[in-house]
Amino acid sequence: MKVKVGDVVLPGDLCEEIVAAGEKSKVILGPGLKKEVDGIYVSKAGTLRKRAPNTYWVDNYQKRYIPARGENVIGIVAQKAGDIFRVDVGGSCTASLSYLSFEGATKKNRPKVVIGDVVYAKMLVASKDMEPEIVCVDSHGKKGRLGVLEDGFVFKCSLNLIRKILNPDCPLINSLKNQWPFELAAGMNGRIWIKANTLRETIALGNAILGSEYLSNDEIKSMCTNIAGILAGHIS
Amino acid sequence: MADIYKLIHPVKYFNDYLSRNIRPDGRGFQEQRNIKLNVNSIKAADASSVVKCGNTTVVCGIKLELATPKAEEPDMGFLVTNVELPALCSSKFRPGPPSDFAQVTSTLVSDIIVNSKCIDLKDLCIAHDKLAWVLYCDMVCIDNDGSLVDACVMTLMASLKTLTLPTVTYDAETEEISVDTSVRTKLKVHGLPVASSFALYKHLQSTIVLADPSSYEEEMCGGIGANLILCYNKGFLCGSHKFGCCNLPKECEEMAFKIAKEKTQLVEEVVDVCIKNYELEQNK
Amino acid sequence: MEVENTDLKDFKLRPMKCECNFLSKSDGSAILSQGQTVALVSVNGPLDIKMTSQSIEKATLEVLFTSKVGKPSVADRYKEHVIRQTCESAILGSLYPRTGITVTIQELEDYGGFTVCSINCACLALLNAGVAMRHTFAGVACAVDEQGNIQLDPDAAQLETARATMNFVFDSREKRLITSLTNGSFSEDAYKEALERCRSASQLVFDFYKDIVSKYSYVIG
Repeated sequence: MKVKVGDVVLPGDLCEEIVAAGEKSKVILGPGLKKEVDGIYVSKAGTLRKRAPNTYWVDNYQKRYIPARGENVIGIVAQKAGDIFRVDVGGSCTASLSYLSFEGATKKNRPKVVIGDVVYAKMLVASKDMEPEIVCVDSHGKKGRLGVLEDGFVFKCSLNLIRKILNPDCPLINSLKNQWPFELAAGMNGRIWIKANTLRETIALGNAILGSEYLSNDEIKSMCTNIAGILAGHIS
Repeated sequence: MADIYKLIHPVKYFNDYLSRNIRPDGRGFQEQRNIKLNVNSIKAADASSVVKCGNTTVVCGIKLELATPKAEEPDMGFLVTNVELPALCSSKFRPGPPSDFAQVTSTLVSDIIVNSKCIDLKDLCIAHDKLAWVLYCDMVCIDNDGSLVDACVMTLMASLKTLTLPTVTYDAETEEISVDTSVRTKLKVHGLPVASSFALYKHLQSTIVLADPSSYEEEMCGGIGANLILCYNKGFLCGSHKFGCCNLPKECEEMAFKIAKEKTQLVEEVVDVCIKNYELEQNK
Repeated sequence: MEVENTDLKDFKLRPMKCECNFLSKSDGSAILSQGQTVALVSVNGPLDIKMTSQSIEKATLEVLFTSKVGKPSVADRYKEHVIRQTCESAILGSLYPRTGITVTIQELEDYGGFTVCSINCACLALLNAGVAMRHTFAGVACAVDEQGNIQLDPDAAQLETARATMNFVFDSREKRLITSLTNGSFSEDAYKEALERCRSASQLVFDFYKDIVSKYSYVIG
């Protein structure tokens, strides 16, 4: 089956547009596309998208995370083994987090991380052949927003929902940010950490995020005003 | 030197042979291995045979027993087939309960025999709803070098063709059973189903059909066992089983049918000659 | 034998209904009904597995088949073997080395053509789980009766009177045959005709898959 950008595609479909573009200049193939001897084939089911000038990928529904370099993920510390922590990021293998990958950490000054802590980290090394490695500092040694997340509530969702809410066009966070104060961290591995002042606000936020998965932008805006209204009614 | 090359670059080794239209063991793509067949090898069994296809060796033994037919099928006897792959036949199998592959082979062989309708279960019935024969057919593989299903079906058919049933008299009033082993009748076998295994290999951009694959070839073609099994009985196809791996284009299908038909004729000849020789020996 | 597009209207399969993401805790799941036959498949993976089962070059695929009643039997092992070989040819296992992918199939109702229904359902569940695949696969069953008439997608009543039944699975790229299972005895011509008809009818199943994927694709983007 031959397909073009914007179509719903299934594995095995051939995309000639990409091959044609590839003959003129360099083309970047994102997730869901595979280069074979006789053309570019789709390998996942979803919508074929393009970003100018020449990046193509397939947006598909997925719950299981495959580690990829450069992504920010939320992990839970599972084990302490000598100089590293073993962190569960939801992939097939636990990731390793060295204790020196924290701001201001030295051999004498160990970070205060215990088993069960939630960390927001960046993927440093991730390939199909090796165990993934994560760090809680950027290349300047600064913490930024990474590190241990205190308190709050972690829940799982699908990977495409994360990408949807982080998209600048999505009205979800913009609609809610003025309603009540909260903190939110979204990990590209399908985990979200939220923290608000009261239990009701935290749960309302969690429900708003999970509820926006199958809604369009207008429906998301009306859902947010609805939730804000109910919450305001409960706070006297 | 060739052994080291085979270990380090297994795919290149195999490809080099196939590019020159020959297989690593010296056969052409469509050549069968030599078949050696012997009947009545096991004196303790009611019928038996041993077949050797190249290196693959399978022994079949048939034991007879009497039993009451099932209530929903009161005039049918039973045919119970079982294939055993003990640990000695290949390094891939461990001692213990039957492996998944043994169960799959067992099901395949039993399906082929049932689908070909070569044994009419009604012939095994002695007294309606009271007494029937049970044929326990056990196939044990002594050496697994590929094309296991072919060898199992061949040896099973050779044993069935030499099987003789003793006469049984059943007295309905007294419910007495008397078996006379001296007066025996031959079991009626309709036709001779013959299975042909193939391995399909994706060589560059085309697919090559390898007839009667050895276990090394089956492994290289990615499968556990053969990729394609065709079974003919009296001109009718009684089984066409293909398992994943390489996808089959039309020209290869035609070729596979042709090779399967040739093999059927060959095996029928072999079995006929073997049984004729055996009967001559008996009559001497 | 070529079949023109106009003949596609004559190829009637039983109505198919499907729901993806049926189970909340699996990585991918689907429930599919073809006529009255229903199958439920759940896919988990790529997961971490024991060192002894790991393969350094590709993912290890495990298929578990549970029938509606009774203990696991030898026939179930055979179905697992067939479905495993079919899925392995489609999945790009080399992208997930040293991991395992588990496909669990539960028989809910069997009114004819269950093997084919479970294979189609497994394909939908794999699409839902986001496992990278080389192509999708579709299965079509057919029955040949005593007179030589071929009936596509037979139900239980037609299977009773059939002389032979055949199940074929085709890939989506060039409609090549991936898997074939037959029961009963038939002539070579009947086999070839049935194969061609099923090949053409498989397009209906591929259209159904595209339909299902489009239904949820527009909202997740």
